[in-house]
Amino acid sequence: MVSEKRGREFYILLAFFCLFVLFLYGPLSAVFILSFQGPNGGLTFPLNGVSLHWFFNLFETQAVGDFGGSFARSFTLGLMVMVVTVVVSLLAGLAFRRKFRGATALFYLAIASLVVPSIIISLGIGVLFQQFGFQPAWYSSGFGAHLTWTLPFGVLIMFAVFNRFSPEYEEAARDLGATPWQSFVHVLLPMIAPSLIGVGLFGFTLSYDEFARTLMTSGTYNTLPLEIFGMTTNVTTPVLYALGTVTTLFSLLIIASTLGFIFYMNRRSRRK
Amino acid sequence: MSDAEANAPKAISPVRSFSIASLSAYLQALPLALILGAFLLLPIIMIAVVSFWDYDFARMYPDFVTFNYGETLGSWVTWKTYLNTLRYAAMVWAVTLVIGFWVAYFLAFHVKTATIQTVLFLICTVPFLTSNIIRMISWIPVLGRNGLINTALVDLGLIPAPIEWLLYSDFAVVLAMVHLYSLFMVVPIFNTMMRIDRSLVEAARDAGASGWQILTNVIIPLAKPGMAIGTIFVVTLVMADFITVQVMSGGQSASVALMMKNEMSLLQYPAAAANAVILLTLVLIMVAGILRVVDIRKEL
Amino acid sequence: MSEKSKKPSGISRRSLLKTGAAAAGAAIGSGAITGFPTIWAQNPITLRQIGTGVSNINAIAQKCKEDLGITLEMTALDSDSAAQRAVTQPNSYDIADIEYWILKKVFPAGVIQPMDTNKLTYYDQIVPLFKTGKLTPDSEIAQGTAPHTVGFVEGPDSKTFASGETEWFTMVPTIYNADTLGIRPDLVGRDITTWADILDPAFKGKTSILNIPSIGIMDAAMIMEAAGEITYADKGNMTKEEIDKTIDFMIKVKQDGQFRAFWKSFDESVNLMASGEVVIQSMWSPAVAAVRSKGIPCVYQPLKEGYRSWGGGLGLAAHLSGAELDAAYEYINWYTSGWVGGYLNRQGYYSACMETAKKFMSDDEWGYWIEGKPAQKDILSPEGKIMEKAGAVRDGGSFEERMGSVACWNSVMDEDRYMVRRWNEFIAS
Repeated sequence: MVSEKRGREFYILLAFFCLFVLFLYGPLSAVFILSFQGPNGGLTFPLNGVSLHWFFNLFETQAVGDFGGSFARSFTLGLMVMVVTVVVSLLAGLAFRRKFRGATALFYLAIASLVVPSIIISLGIGVLFQQFGFQPAWYSSGFGAHLTWTLPFGVLIMFAVFNRFSPEYEEAARDLGATPWQSFVHVLLPMIAPSLIGVGLFGFTLSYDEFARTLMTSGTYNTLPLEIFGMTTNVTTPVLYALGTVTTLFSLLIIASTLGFIFYMNRRSRRK
Repeated sequence: MSDAEANAPKAISPVRSFSIASLSAYLQALPLALILGAFLLLPIIMIAVVSFWDYDFARMYPDFVTFNYGETLGSWVTWKTYLNTLRYAAMVWAVTLVIGFWVAYFLAFHVKTATIQTVLFLICTVPFLTSNIIRMISWIPVLGRNGLINTALVDLGLIPAPIEWLLYSDFAVVLAMVHLYSLFMVVPIFNTMMRIDRSLVEAARDAGASGWQILTNVIIPLAKPGMAIGTIFVVTLVMADFITVQVMSGGQSASVALMMKNEMSLLQYPAAAANAVILLTLVLIMVAGILRVVDIRKEL
Repeated sequence: MSEKSKKPSGISRRSLLKTGAAAAGAAIGSGAITGFPTIWAQNPITLRQIGTGVSNINAIAQKCKEDLGITLEMTALDSDSAAQRAVTQPNSYDIADIEYWILKKVFPAGVIQPMDTNKLTYYDQIVPLFKTGKLTPDSEIAQGTAPHTVGFVEGPDSKTFASGETEWFTMVPTIYNADTLGIRPDLVGRDITTWADILDPAFKGKTSILNIPSIGIMDAAMIMEAAGEITYADKGNMTKEEIDKTIDFMIKVKQDGQFRAFWKSFDESVNLMASGEVVIQSMWSPAVAAVRSKGIPCVYQPLKEGYRSWGGGLGLAAHLSGAELDAAYEYINWYTSGWVGGYLNRQGYYSACMETAKKFMSDDEWGYWIEGKPAQKDILSPEGKIMEKAGAVRDGGSFEERMGSVACWNSVMDEDRYMVRRWNEFIAS
C-alpha cells in the first residue's frame, strides 16, 4: 500500500507533521515551564525562581474557587455525557440503517445541533428553564446542553461506520441461525467497538472542555472550565498552569499505559 | 473509477417483517429525537419567540415587535462584525484544511505500522484534552512583547525591537483558533482516508500514475467527505466563538457572538435573541451550501 | 487494516475508563465536610452565594463555618455571568454578591428581596456613602449610579427604588473602591496627573481600558472630559449625543493605535502591566498590589479629576424564607461585624462598616490602609505575604481622601441599549 522506499515526499511530510506537533505542544511547553514558577512568580515570563510550589498549591484551598469540586463535577458530567452519547448514537446509527419516516428531518436536526452556535444553545436553554420555572443544574440543563454538542458527533461517526458496514456479516450470522440479538452482540458490536470507544472518548473530551454551552445552564455550581474562568476575576497564580501541566501529563500517562497494554495484548495473542 | 464505488450507498438489509423492523427503527431513533427536541429545538423556538419580545431596563415583555431585528440589521456595525467573523472563519478554515489534509495524509498513507499510526494520532490528540481556556491563555506568554518568541528573536539579534502584532491582533486570534480547532479537521479527514481502499491506490500505481496523480485523482476526491465534515466543524466553531476573539485580540476585534455576549451582559435578551436568530440562519445557510456540494449522508 | 489495528487498543481503553469512573467516584466522595457547626449544629444550613472572584473568597466561607456553623458555598463567576445568573436563574443562589450598577437592572426583575434594616445589627455603622451618597455631611454626591440611589425601596414588595433612606435596604455593601489609572513609573518616565495622560502619543500602543461596556464607557468619559473634549451633565447617564461623541472620539483613538488591548478580567490587567505590554491603564487596586508583589514597580496614580468608583453588595434571593432567611440575615450581620471587613480592607478594598473592621486590624494596618499613614512595619497580605515594606504610603492616601474625591460611580444608563450598540461599534472599528 505504501511505496517500499521512503521517498522525498515522506520526509517532507514527516517534517510537516513534526512542525504541527511542535505547534500543538509549543504553547503547552510555555505552560509547562511556567508551572514551575517560584512562589512569587506570575503568569508570564520571566521566571521568578524555580519551584514545585504551584503543584502543591493545586491541592490546597485556593483564595477563590474550588478545583476539587469543579473537577469532580466536570469529570462526572463527562462520564455521563460519554455513556449517553455512545448509547444514543449507537441506537440512532442502527435506526438510520433502515428507512423510516422523519429520518431525513432527524438527520438534519442532528446536523443543526452541531452548527447552532454554542452560546445560542446556552441562552436558549437558560431562557427556557427560566420561563418554565425549572431549576437549571449541571446534571440537568448542563447535561442536555452538552449532549446537543456531543450527540451529532456521535451520530455522524456512527453514520460513517454503518454506511461502510457490509450487511453481509449479519446475513451470514442469520443464515447460521443467530437471533437478531445474537448477531448484534456477537457480530456487529465487536466490529464497531473501536468506533464506539472513539465516540465515547470524543464525547468525554468535548464535554470536559465545554465552556459556552455551560455558561448559562450550569445552575448553582460551576464546571471546571467555568471555575477557571471565574477564578481569573481575582489574582490568579501559576496554579492554573500547574493544572494544565498535570492534566496533560495525566493524559500522556493514560495514553502510554494504553500503548503498553496494546503491546502486551499483541504479544499474548501472538503466543496463542 | 473511484467516485462510483465510494458514492454507491450500501444496500439496506432486507428485513423479514417490515412493521416490526420499522417500529424498532423508531424506537432506536427515539432517544436522539427526544434529546434534540428538548435541548435543541425547544430552546431555539424559545429564542425565536423571545427575539420578538419587547424589553426595557430590567425585564422582557411577551409581545410581537420587530425592532430587535430592525436595530440589528439596520446597523453597519452588524454587517461589519459579520464580515469580520466570516473573515476569521475563512482564514482559520483555509489554514486548518491545509494542515488537516497533510497531517491526515501523512498518518494514513505514510506511516507503515498500525501501532505507530495510533501512537502518532494520539500524540496529536493529547493537547486537546487540556482545557481550551488554558491552551488559549498559554499563547500569551509565548507571543507577548516580552514573550518567548520576541525575547528569542531580540536576543539573537534578528530584530531590533519586539514585534507588536504577534499578540492582541488578528494574527493572534487566527493562530489560537487554528491551535484550538485543527483537530476537528484532522480527525474526519484521517477517518475518511483510513477507509480508502488501498487497492485503488495500488491499481493506480500499477497503471502508471505518479504520486501526485494518485493524490489528486484518487485520494483527494475520496477524502472530500472528510474535508467537508471538517469544514462544517471548523466554520461553525469559529462563527460561534467569542472567548478566543476577545482574549487574543485584547478586546480590540469583534465577533458576532461577542456582540451577543455584550448585549447579554446588560440583560438585553431580546436583542441578543434577534442576533442569535440571524447568526443561526446564516450558519445554517452556509452548512446547507456545504451539504449541497457534498452529500454527507451518502458519503460518510 | 484499520479495524484490525484499532481493536486491541479499544479493549484497553475500555478498562481504563472503568478506572476513571472509580477515580471520579472517589473524588466526589472525598468532599467530606469538616469543622464543627456551633449555632446551626442542630439544623445544618447551607447558603449558596454567587459573585465575582473579587469578593467570593474561600477564607470568608471557612471563617463563616467556624463562627456561625453556616456552610457557605461560594461560586466564583465573572461579573457578566454573575449578573446574568442573578436574573435568569434566581433559584440557583441564596445570596447574590453583585455590583450596584447592575443592581439597577437586577432588582426590578424581582429576584432580590429587600432587607429589613431593623434586622441588620450593624446598619447604623454602615458608611453614609451608601445611605446618602455623601461620605461626610458636606461632601458632594458623585455622578453615575451612586449606590444610595439603588440602595432603598419603599416596602418589602416594592420593585422601584426609593428616593431616600427607608427601612428596606436592597443590598448590604461588601466592598467598594475608588479606581484610577495604574502606571509603571519605571516605564512612563514622567509625572501622570490626569486621566487625559492615557492619550499621550508617547504611550501609543501601551495603554488599556476596561472592556466591560458599562464600565469601559465610564473610563472613556473620564478620559474625554479630562482632555477637554466634552463636559457631561452626568457621565453616568449620558444622552445619545454624548454617547455618540464619546464613542466617535474613542474610535478615533483606537484607530490611531493608542490602545494595546482592552482587559476584561482582573488577571488580564495584571498580566498586561506585569509583562510590560501596557504602561498606563485603568486598573483595580488589588491588581496594582498583585503587580507590585511580583517585584515590579506599579503605582495607583491619583489624578486631579478624581476617581471612578464602584461598589458591590450582598442581596438576598427572593425565594429565601424561614430558617434560611434567618441564617442569611445572621450571615450578613456576621459579615458586617468586622472580621470580613478587616480582611477586605487588607486587600486594598474598603468594607461597609469601617468601625467594626478596625477592631480586626492592627493599628499599623489601619494607619496604612485607611488613614494613609506610612507603614510602621511591613504590610502583609491576608495570606501572610509581604505586600508593602515599612515606610510605604498608600497611593492616593487615606480613605477620606480617596473616597472623598470620587468623580463618578459605575453606572447603567437609561440609554444603555444605544450605548451597547455603539460600544459594539467601538470594538468592531
